[in-house]
Amino acid sequence: MITIEQLRYVRFGTADLAGATDFAERILGLQLIDKDEDQAFFRSDYRDHTLVFVKGADPSGAIGMEVRDLETLDQAASLLQSQGYCVSRGDAAAAAQRKVKHVLSFSDNSGNAFELVVRPLQSGWRYFASRDAGVIGLEAVAVRSTAIAADEKLWTTVFNGCVSDWVGDAAYIRFDDSHHRLALHPSGKPGVLAVEYGVEDVDLLMQNSYFLRLAQVSIMDGPGRRPTSGQLFLTFAGPGEALFSYVAEGAKIAKGASHRPRQFPKTRVSFCCWGSDCHVPEMS
Amino acid sequence: MIRLQDVSYVRLGTADLVGATRFATNYLGLELTESVEGAAYFKSDEREHTLCYFEGDPADHTAAFEVGSRDELELAARELERLGHSVYAGTAAEAEARKVREFIAFKDPSGNRVELVVRPAYSGRRYHGVRDAGISGFSHIGLCSTDPARDELFWTEVCNARVSDRIGDAPLLRIDEVHHTIALFPSAKPGIQHINHQVETGDDIMRSFRFLTDRQVRMVFGPGRHPTSSARFLYFEGPDGMVFEYSSGVKSIADELLYRENQYPFEPKGFCKWGAKPNISEFQK
Repeated sequence: MITIEQLRYVRFGTADLAGATDFAERILGLQLIDKDEDQAFFRSDYRDHTLVFVKGADPSGAIGMEVRDLETLDQAASLLQSQGYCVSRGDAAAAAQRKVKHVLSFSDNSGNAFELVVRPLQSGWRYFASRDAGVIGLEAVAVRSTAIAADEKLWTTVFNGCVSDWVGDAAYIRFDDSHHRLALHPSGKPGVLAVEYGVEDVDLLMQNSYFLRLAQVSIMDGPGRRPTSGQLFLTFAGPGEALFSYVAEGAKIAKGASHRPRQFPKTRVSFCCWGSDCHVPEMS
Repeated sequence: MIRLQDVSYVRLGTADLVGATRFATNYLGLELTESVEGAAYFKSDEREHTLCYFEGDPADHTAAFEVGSRDELELAARELERLGHSVYAGTAAEAEARKVREFIAFKDPSGNRVELVVRPAYSGRRYHGVRDAGISGFSHIGLCSTDPARDELFWTEVCNARVSDRIGDAPLLRIDEVHHTIALFPSAKPGIQHINHQVETGDDIMRSFRFLTDRQVRMVFGPGRHPTSSARFLYFEGPDGMVFEYSSGVKSIADELLYRENQYPFEPKGFCKWGAKPNISEFQK
């Protein structure tokens, strides 16, 4: 079993790097850390970066997850291969481009791209954005899945994920004491559904809600509260297909706690107990 | 000094008692406790009633406050008369219609109809609304004021209210530990400006926001959070243009000696720290 240390980043391809950069800085409220002709890196917390836009790469996005060391990475490679997953080790250039020591890429059963990384870059300088969005860090990623049972099995058998709750077949998977870091939503196509950033509290979430409305950003879901994780959420459109969310509050599940995953019905109230409007098919 | 103990009820005239009753129960979430010829009584907490709609002029609003005893009521009547207010002593039948032992009626300097009551009826049966709005009780009123500075003096010098904060010249006044029970807002004419009910949590505010929006109730401010009282709020319009508010998490002022009121700007940011903009004429310049 391979231990996922933490989520590190999401890399999106884009045809409009300037537009995506403007979104990440001005709308989302992240800090531009590094930029060249082909890619732009954004910081949200103590990690060097948690969001990258790359000119021309796959727009559906790749999710970076940290494993402890090279040995674990090798174990992951052989374990994944033994289960029939196709893995590819990135060369030095690929690792340098991601600001990590080693990188291993693979796709889940739906075709979602994941990258396991060793020694990703940390920052000694704290996150300081131009807009006070109150972001405290990359919290979770929601992905679409066309093979929900097999994808859930991947994260809970090859990796150390545990299902915290289900809504219908959608699975909320945790790797640490947060209710979930990865959410798998049954869908007709693969791809990152939403990248979720934590904000300080309900005030920041609602301030952002009014800010986004004023900035004419299309609000896709919320503001609302998830009955599963207890999180407040606000989901809005990004520059590409993937959505972005702010989340706040929410339950913690301590390591070793006797939490039993709960099955919620696949109805709208299982995604929001405030009754908010939703324009995300996977959550309607 | 007239010692107000609590805000007891409001009485609102209406040309459409059936419609007002439907709003108060199905939308606002109050419990209809009594329906008599020409009037309907609604319950929101442990009291027998906190809102009464009666057939009459929709501009006819009355707010009632409880005083401690019959003696205090008499002292209040004398004090008000000394200051030139005309005081009306309610008859037994009128007191019964208000579910109180005794009351007097007068007008504040702006012309707002105010009643001081003794021993308002409590109920042995708890409040249970027809919908789960999470209401924990009738809590405060906003009053229109033609001169907020003058009226602030009336409520704080003649009565026992203290200023908790001011938004521009609009004072938020407390008579107990709750941040405000009376708020005065500048207006050209008198009347009740808004009626507040507390709800249990911020979630109740948001649920009601969706519930009422889905039913085409006109939202006039929020959801938001007051920088003054720290309460989360939602304002919406009821029958005859009356503004109703739900709020949750109002600040409590325990230390009368150390507390100092703050001055907030009479702008949207003085009313909401989330960025909501009021669509209420008394909250706008």
